[in-house]
Amino acid sequence: MLRIALQMLMGDRAKYIGLLLGITFTAFLVTFALAYFAGFMTQGFALISENNSADVWVMDPAVNSTEMTINMPSSALARVRGVKGVSSAAPLSLNDLTARFPNGRFQTFQMIGVDDATLSGAPFLYKRGSSKILYRPDSVIVDSGGTSGKLQTPIYQKDKWPFDGVHLDAPTRPLKVDDELLVNGKRIVIAGVSQTIHRFPPRPLLYTTYSNAKRLLPSEHRRLTFIMVSAQTGVSATVLAKRIEQQTRLRARTSSDFKEDTVRWFLINSEDVGDMAAMLILAMTVGFGVTGIMLYMFTYESLKQYAVLKAMGASNSMLLKMVFIQAGASAFLGAGMGVGLCAIIGEFVSTIDFPFRMMWFTPIFGIVGVLIVSITAAMVSTRPVLKMEPGVVFSGR
Amino acid sequence: MILDEDKNIVVKCRHIKKTYGSGESKVFALRGIDLDVYQGELVMLVGPSGCGKTTFISIISALLEADNEGFCRVLGEDLSTLNSQEKTYFRGHSIGFVFQAFNLLPALTAVENIAIPLLIQGVNRAVAMKRAQTILDLVGLTSRSQAMPGELSGGEQQRVAIARALIHSPKLIICDEPTSSLDHESGQLILELLRSFVKKEGKTLIVVTHDNRIFNFADRMAYMDDGRIVKIETNVRTPDEKLL
Ligand SMILES: Nc1ncnc2c1ncn2[C@@H]1O[C@H](COP(=O)(O)OP(=O)(O)OP(=O)(O)O)[C@@H](O)[C@H]1O
Ligand SMILES: [Mg+2]
Repeated sequence: MLRIALQMLMGDRAKYIGLLLGITFTAFLVTFALAYFAGFMTQGFALISENNSADVWVMDPAVNSTEMTINMPSSALARVRGVKGVSSAAPLSLNDLTARFPNGRFQTFQMIGVDDATLSGAPFLYKRGSSKILYRPDSVIVDSGGTSGKLQTPIYQKDKWPFDGVHLDAPTRPLKVDDELLVNGKRIVIAGVSQTIHRFPPRPLLYTTYSNAKRLLPSEHRRLTFIMVSAQTGVSATVLAKRIEQQTRLRARTSSDFKEDTVRWFLINSEDVGDMAAMLILAMTVGFGVTGIMLYMFTYESLKQYAVLKAMGASNSMLLKMVFIQAGASAFLGAGMGVGLCAIIGEFVSTIDFPFRMMWFTPIFGIVGVLIVSITAAMVSTRPVLKMEPGVVFSGR
Repeated sequence: MILDEDKNIVVKCRHIKKTYGSGESKVFALRGIDLDVYQGELVMLVGPSGCGKTTFISIISALLEADNEGFCRVLGEDLSTLNSQEKTYFRGHSIGFVFQAFNLLPALTAVENIAIPLLIQGVNRAVAMKRAQTILDLVGLTSRSQAMPGELSGGEQQRVAIARALIHSPKLIICDEPTSSLDHESGQLILELLRSFVKKEGKTLIVVTHDNRIFNFADRMAYMDDGRIVKIETNVRTPDEKLL
């Protein structure tokens, strides 16, 4: 009889394909939405991913994300270096600053000041040179950080630092090496343009050395935002983080814990993330609703057939098994196709810088979600099967 | 199992009543039916629309529960004493159904449709299919065994339905308007087929019909009106000889 259930399911090609497409679509939607969300969250902790050689991140005890920070006194660096098990500790300084373009326009950047000695934290430059270019005076590396059209400088010499006021509407081109910007009345030179991981929320980035940062932001007394620690071989990051916390009274987190902290911070504090989550939940609800209704309709439209089977001696439990096998088979197939489709499309969109991360939980959510909805729909649709008037078998048509 | 005085009695109904709904919208579908049907007999139930024919055969075939008065004994079983599982079993083993709308499963081939009652009973698929093919031969559709219902004419579909009603060798076959979706010729063929089974194998057949072109196949006619049987007539014009 289970075979008959499947034959019933696939007998009406058009309806079956519709159902399957619906489920596939839902599974796709849910998986994609989650992967998209995961993609954004991944961008949320881009700073941590970018510095993957850091085992432990040290910060002010009140900081719990890369997004909202307060600086520590510079003495913290020496204290951390003094902790047993620390192989190296590099300072990292995060500050927002506003830079002026030659035509008079301005733009807020996140300035990332990296260790003068090691330059750890500076971006890798694919096209030319190395981050060593930061050793040149007043040098910075700029990065769009996921924004577009924000790093534009005038094309023509006449529009640069003009004497007759700002040339805001001058034609522009993207920033490139040797272009100049003005920060707090000081000139900075673009030494390189990098392409690191996109930020969430997107923002232009300005990498420079720690000492350059100090010069560009004289008003800031404390500039040490994070200390990136690498552990000696054989020392576990978790243990080292504990030890640093005990000895320095600063907050120390392994990089994976700190990523989690940052995601949690976004979930709690960011309205953008809240809006996005609400939209995703809406999309999922719609998808799940459609799937559920389609499955319900499928059973409902087969009621007459079930009634015939019931008249001919099929027990309720047999009919229930048939309904569930139909729902289960379509759910499994649809979920598989949806997740597969999502993987294929994900492969494609991640090549065009789309925030998309297939993490272990995304397909599981997609599949489990669809299964739960299908089973629920099947359970709801068994009601008319069980309650149906046996008399319907005798009615004409 | 309660033995009736007359062992040949298949259906014995007394004072069967059925009301639908309650209060204002209460419908008295059956107002007290008495009927005996004997083994090997083809009884036709006729009467105007809404007089309660379908209601009555639904009760006989354990698809519908009658009101508490009266009793209905079918093949020795007092239907009012069966719980729903027992009724399901009773239907699956003792009754064959033929419907006006054929009610074949559209996704199954002719031979698979015929096998359903055996599959429901849990008979091995290969065995069931083999038996289904044999029955299909009996109704003259040997070559159409792999056809889908949608590819069959109305008359062919009803012959498949008859094969399905017979495959599990039920003692009682119940038909509701078996010919009203068919043309005259197919209708005659269907009744000839049904009647030959009744007479050859000693089955019992109850046929609800409006179709006066098939009245002559009946052994007895029970005329119903407004929830009662108003007249029972023994049909003397049955063309038995021609059929047997
Ligand atoms: N489920 C139901 N609920 C309420 N009333 C019903 C129900 N089924 C049948 N009836 C009513 O019971 C009466 C008898 O109906 P039934 O279907 O048995 O008649 P019938 O003789 O088979 O009619 P037809 O020739 O049109 O098939 C009718 O008045 C009908 O409206
Ligand atoms: Mg009727």
